[in-house]
Amino acid sequence: MSRYLLMRFLLMFPTLLGVAVVIFVLIRVIPGDVVELRLAGDRGAVSEQVLNQERARFGLDKPVWQQFATWMWGLLRFDFGTSMWTGAPIGQEIKLRFALSFQVAVMATIVAVLLAIPLGVIAALKQDTWVDYTVRIFSIAGLACPSFWLGIVFILTLLVVFKWLPPMVYTPLWVNPWQNLQQLIWPALAVGYRYSAVATRMTRSAMLEVLREDYIRTARAKGLWQSLILSRHALKNAMLPVLTVIAVEFAFLIGGLVVTEQVFNLNGIGLLFVQAVAHRDYTLIQALTMLVAGFFIVVNFLMDIAYAWLDPRIRYR
Amino acid sequence: MRRRAALLSLLAGLALAAHPAEAQDKPHYGGELVFVVPSDPPSYDAHEEETFGVIHPMAPHYNTLLRVDPFDRTGTKPVGDLAESWTVSRDGLVYTFKLRRGVKFHDGNEMTSKDVKASYDKIVFPPAGVKSLRKAAYSSVEVVEAPDPYTVRFRLKWPESSLPLNLASPWNWIYRADVLAKDIHWYETHVNGTGPFTFVEHVRGSHWVGKKNPNYWDKGKPYLDGYRAIFISSSAAQVAAVRGERAHIQFRSFSPVERDQLVQALGPKITVQESPWDCVLLVAMHHEKKPFDDKRVRRALTLALDRYEGSKALSRITLVKDVAGIQVPGTPYATPPTELEKLAGYGRDINRSRTEAKRLLKEAGVPEGFAFTFKNRGIPHPYEPLGIWLIDQWRQIGLNVKQEIIEASAYHPMLKRGDFEVAMDFQCGFIVEPDLDLPRFLSTSDANYGKHKDTVIDELYEKQGRATDAEERKRYLRAFEKRLLDEEAHILYTLQWHRIIPHSSKVRGWTITPSHYLNNQLDTVWLGE
Repeated sequence: MSRYLLMRFLLMFPTLLGVAVVIFVLIRVIPGDVVELRLAGDRGAVSEQVLNQERARFGLDKPVWQQFATWMWGLLRFDFGTSMWTGAPIGQEIKLRFALSFQVAVMATIVAVLLAIPLGVIAALKQDTWVDYTVRIFSIAGLACPSFWLGIVFILTLLVVFKWLPPMVYTPLWVNPWQNLQQLIWPALAVGYRYSAVATRMTRSAMLEVLREDYIRTARAKGLWQSLILSRHALKNAMLPVLTVIAVEFAFLIGGLVVTEQVFNLNGIGLLFVQAVAHRDYTLIQALTMLVAGFFIVVNFLMDIAYAWLDPRIRYR
Repeated sequence: MRRRAALLSLLAGLALAAHPAEAQDKPHYGGELVFVVPSDPPSYDAHEEETFGVIHPMAPHYNTLLRVDPFDRTGTKPVGDLAESWTVSRDGLVYTFKLRRGVKFHDGNEMTSKDVKASYDKIVFPPAGVKSLRKAAYSSVEVVEAPDPYTVRFRLKWPESSLPLNLASPWNWIYRADVLAKDIHWYETHVNGTGPFTFVEHVRGSHWVGKKNPNYWDKGKPYLDGYRAIFISSSAAQVAAVRGERAHIQFRSFSPVERDQLVQALGPKITVQESPWDCVLLVAMHHEKKPFDDKRVRRALTLALDRYEGSKALSRITLVKDVAGIQVPGTPYATPPTELEKLAGYGRDINRSRTEAKRLLKEAGVPEGFAFTFKNRGIPHPYEPLGIWLIDQWRQIGLNVKQEIIEASAYHPMLKRGDFEVAMDFQCGFIVEPDLDLPRFLSTSDANYGKHKDTVIDELYEKQGRATDAEERKRYLRAFEKRLLDEEAHILYTLQWHRIIPHSSKVRGWTITPSHYLNNQLDTVWLGE
């Protein structure tokens, strides 16, 4: 077990290095640079001298390999540098948004799990009955509706029907829980519904497969209670693929709620990512990519641990 | 329904224009103004920034030496801000400003001429490593002097009648000299002005908060207890914020469609102010690429445009409206309509113009169905509708135009490289003033993307700038305009942008101007019932 975990842990580093190289090269291929964008503005007339002065300030006049080496050296010391757009430390820029994105991700996951597991199990148990069909319609509708669209529907309904709009500014949960929930429950529901749709379908199909296994038949033949069969034998074994889906979706939510964050005006990581790309803020894009990649890798690592716990047969040779 | 909404908004706007709010009621004290800002500020130093994302949330913390009269709809009348009065020497080479006494920075220190001088030295003569984006606008300034604590003197190399308006620039915040002396970059990350509101909080990407300055030098002002600027980039979310009454106003502009939605949803709770906007999309034609090196071809391109019909159609869907020359309609140096109609491409008889365009193309040896690529910026409004309109107009004189959309952030570098035949160009000013708007057309300008070389244009520009008599200056400007847009057709003006501000009817004391960089000090703004 410890060798398995160590191998999984060590694999994280080459993965992160690969991400670093790819993102560093890719953003420099895109035309336009942060200096032009920031100084050209609406008037569009800035002298070349001013532009070059600014490029030198950001180190953009140096060879690409040197810029990469500087960045990597900073990363090793956990120094992400400063944003080329705002001049603020990257850590500060991310810290501001991370709490919000993380909370939405957690809330959406709770919504998804609360919906998906019971619905998936019920649908599997009542296969091909009206219950199953209803759950399937519910989950297919969730897959078909993008969460940002659902978000717009929420906003318009609240605005037109209830003449009310969620607060525009984020208040941390520990400062004012009611205000915080008023703002974040709507994106969590919009995102959680789509997320639950994926997980519901996965739970249903995994349960159907497990319920046909010999050991379930044996358990039933031994006269075990249905609830015990479900919780101890069926659900635990069906959870592997479901956990994978939940974990991957959760990691995605940290940086992937770009449009939903715009719809609800959430100052989160997704919106920051979009702004960083639009501004060609190289240092910020690099840091955010590493953050999201790191988050995915860590979540995957935790999943690997969970797999080993759920299914002791999973081991590295 | 849409027509009814548009009519309502127009009536609301006209009502306001006819009866300025401040003339109707006595200002009320109290309340927090909440407004939406579509862009986040990069740094806190306006001397080195170019976006309204700096002006809108931060201007209330500062004063400038002069300012534009907050109730002047043309945004072209300079009045004193920190300066109480000013005089000009007979030769027009020395401007002397008397400063107000008892003005304090938010940290408690008194503001004196030393601070004004230090701020202007930073803007006009920035030391190495300090950027000042509008330095070129003060090339006539030889030196800034502070002979006593309450007097500031600007000595010029040549007379420049636009100087007072240029000193009313909303970017030229007055900073504390001692702070600049210790760290000239301090203001990039800190706030300390003399303005009507003090700084409370900035959460990046979220909001900016200011509260009433109890020691403000203009006694009785500001009226508001404070303000909160909320950063919202999505235009749908901006509209929702105003519609849901979470925000009172957004100071840049909404589109005609968004205005109609708000008017329809909120009725009398919304007031609409509209104005020609000091922004315009131009068409640059590369003078070093054939056949655009031939002025007959360039003239044909402008003659093909039915600007008057275009205005009617496009103003319903996007941010453009007025047919205008080199200055915003309604401002002191704007082209009178009768003069405008004499310029190529501005005549009322479009058939006659297009016949002339075809004749010019034939004379220039441009074959029937000549094809070229028009590069446009990948921004929905108003670039895309205007691009489609231009292509349609050019097709009507037999030109075959292909549009290539360039991603917004790659656009400016493309223009600078000269990597185009014909391309959309853009300009937005902060004050309507020929000395600020026209330098880009000089042969040596970095923004002369079409790369024309025209000494006549250069001379006319210089003459208008040095003319001290307004009528004389107008004559030079009309000659400049005729040369630029008609005789040589170096560049095409499309349609003037149109600024639309639908705001909560509670907001009083704020007057629209042609610039979205002006009138953001908020000292005159108050909230009604």
